[in-house]
Amino acid sequence: MTESNAGRIIELKNIRKSFDGETVLDGINLDIHDKEFVTFLGPSGCGKTTTLRIIAGFETPDFGEVFFDGAKINDLPPYKRQVNTVFQKYALFPHLNVYENVAFGLRLGKKLKEEEISRRVKDMLRMVNLSGFERRNVESLSGGQQQRVAIARALINHPRVLLLDEPLGALDLKLRKDMQNELKNIQMQTGITFIYVTHDQEEALSMSDVIVVMNEGVIQQIGTPTDIYNEPVNAFVADFIGESNILDGVMLEDYKAKFSNQTFDCLDKGFAKGEAVDIVVRPEDVDVVPVEKGMLSGIVTSVTFKGVHYEIIVDIGGFKWMIQTTDFVAQDEHIGLYIEPDAIHVMKKSKYSDQFGDYSSFSDELDELSVNTEEE
Amino acid sequence: MKQRSLLQKCLAAPHMVWTVLFIIAPLLFVAYYAFTDSEGAFTFDNILKSLEADYMVIFFRSISLAIIATFICLIIAYPMAYAISRAKPSAQKIIIMLVMLPMWMNFLIRTYSWMSILEDTGFINQLLIKLGLEPVHMINTSGAVVLGMVYNFLPYMILPIYTVMVKIDRRLVEAAHDLGCNSFGVMTKVIFPLSISGVVSGVTMVFVPSISTFYISQKLGGGNFDLIGDTIERQFQTAYNYNLGAAISLILMVLIIISMAIMNKFSDEDGGMVV
Ligand SMILES: Nc1ncnc2c1ncn2[C@@H]1O[C@H](COP(=O)(O)OP(=O)(O)OP(=O)(O)O)[C@@H](O)[C@H]1O
Ligand SMILES: [Mg+2]
Repeated sequence: MTESNAGRIIELKNIRKSFDGETVLDGINLDIHDKEFVTFLGPSGCGKTTTLRIIAGFETPDFGEVFFDGAKINDLPPYKRQVNTVFQKYALFPHLNVYENVAFGLRLGKKLKEEEISRRVKDMLRMVNLSGFERRNVESLSGGQQQRVAIARALINHPRVLLLDEPLGALDLKLRKDMQNELKNIQMQTGITFIYVTHDQEEALSMSDVIVVMNEGVIQQIGTPTDIYNEPVNAFVADFIGESNILDGVMLEDYKAKFSNQTFDCLDKGFAKGEAVDIVVRPEDVDVVPVEKGMLSGIVTSVTFKGVHYEIIVDIGGFKWMIQTTDFVAQDEHIGLYIEPDAIHVMKKSKYSDQFGDYSSFSDELDELSVNTEEE
Repeated sequence: MKQRSLLQKCLAAPHMVWTVLFIIAPLLFVAYYAFTDSEGAFTFDNILKSLEADYMVIFFRSISLAIIATFICLIIAYPMAYAISRAKPSAQKIIIMLVMLPMWMNFLIRTYSWMSILEDTGFINQLLIKLGLEPVHMINTSGAVVLGMVYNFLPYMILPIYTVMVKIDRRLVEAAHDLGCNSFGVMTKVIFPLSISGVVSGVTMVFVPSISTFYISQKLGGGNFDLIGDTIERQFQTAYNYNLGAAISLILMVLIIISMAIMNKFSDEDGGMVV
């Protein structure tokens, strides 16, 4: 291992891939460090699975290089890679029972004693909470149980890297949360590098050490969950991760931004004087105050109770803001808004700038619709 | 809703009539003839006669040729079915059509064609002579009979195996590779166990017509390789001994049932078991 790749277990260098002339990955550059929990996050069709399959060896990139421990592995077949995969719909062997599914990887290569196999399979099943299920037919298991078998099967050979392609996609919400915790525990216990694919941003934020946000075959941002949430690099990331009000603004000078016809203090600098920028303000970072104390003021057009807070839409000079507040405000009320300097995040203009407007089309119904389509 | 509604019973009626008329009734006729003499009196003579040495030789020959033909079909069909199932979907359709193409031609014509190909002065031997080689005697050998069976029944082996193989999830193959299997391991540990059911139906669909065929052996075996089918045919067509013919048929049926039971047992065990 040379100085330059210390700690890096996988490196992707300028990976390009197209199917039938359609570019799917367009220059992916990524370093993944040992023992990290890395999540690929992005909308459907952005190339997450394809990237994962290139790392596993099921696809070869048209261009670019894949390194493992500093060695190029472009031409190494999947069965020689120290990488194992948990497939999206588990892909358990239907002709084998739970025990034999998990033992599958142990029965290949060098011969192990049956007691050794049995001991390791039992240990693994204990780790995924499936002790006693050894003789069960895999098709008789619930989705969550099949998922655990798939994880046990993939971990039994002690891979250096585990690839998980939307492993919780088919589970219901409650089970999903439990499995998220379990997966995180398993990752910490084993010290195996996890590369995790999801299009659920909440899942990504709560589990990952590093999030890789992708769109249209291009990495938009790589960073820790807090970085990604607090410092999105462009309008796409800001919109995709959490709720956000994205406004057109101008950087007057360092630490001074102008939007909604007002000048605000902020913590951002390094932009040209008068540069057009995108401004992000998260709904939970805005304080509702009486009109006379507000920096901005507007009319409440909708109020939705969300349990912990109210989600309100406020019309300010024609731009609809989403704001989350624990104080009740009534519809059609005239309110003031107060924004702290650290709640304002300034981003350079990008090709996504015009795609994300305000919340004018927002309604609960629409929200539910988009959630449903996401889950498909 | 345990009770079937009247409508359901009515809908099932045509099927019941069909079954009784065309399956159960003929079987009863066969059994009746097998256990009676020409006068119609009950007897075991027909059965005992069909178990005599002369007929046992024929039974044995039929079984061995059918096993050989089935085995050769399997060896040819399995890799073919695998290759077809891996081809592009559009190519798969065309290849499957080519596999079935000979079935559109009449069975008799196909067998006659093989006669003229295999004859001492047939196509192959003429070719050999043109090439300055010694002609080979092929027609009227047991090899020619087996060839006829393999040629005629091969599609029945390919199709069921192919049908099972296209349904094997590609991700299972990838999962096996992922866990450390090379291509050979994938074949033995995943593809083969998952295609057993296709193999079982293929074997049944080739073995049963092979063991009961009568035309192939007459034309390609030249009467030197009488099979059970030929014997039965002769009892009905030339000897007019319906009773003996029925008895031999009955024994053939029992043989087929036994071999199918063995095959099914084999598939049950292998299907659900550890490799
Ligand atoms: N084998 C293939 N042949 C042709 N096109 C493919 C193939 N695999 C993927 N694609 C295309 O590549 C694009 C990216 O696919 P990919 O599966 O990587 O997306 P994804 O980010 O995993 O999406 P999802 O969240 O829906 O799983 C899609 O447009 C898909 O249709
Ligand atoms: Mg995917």
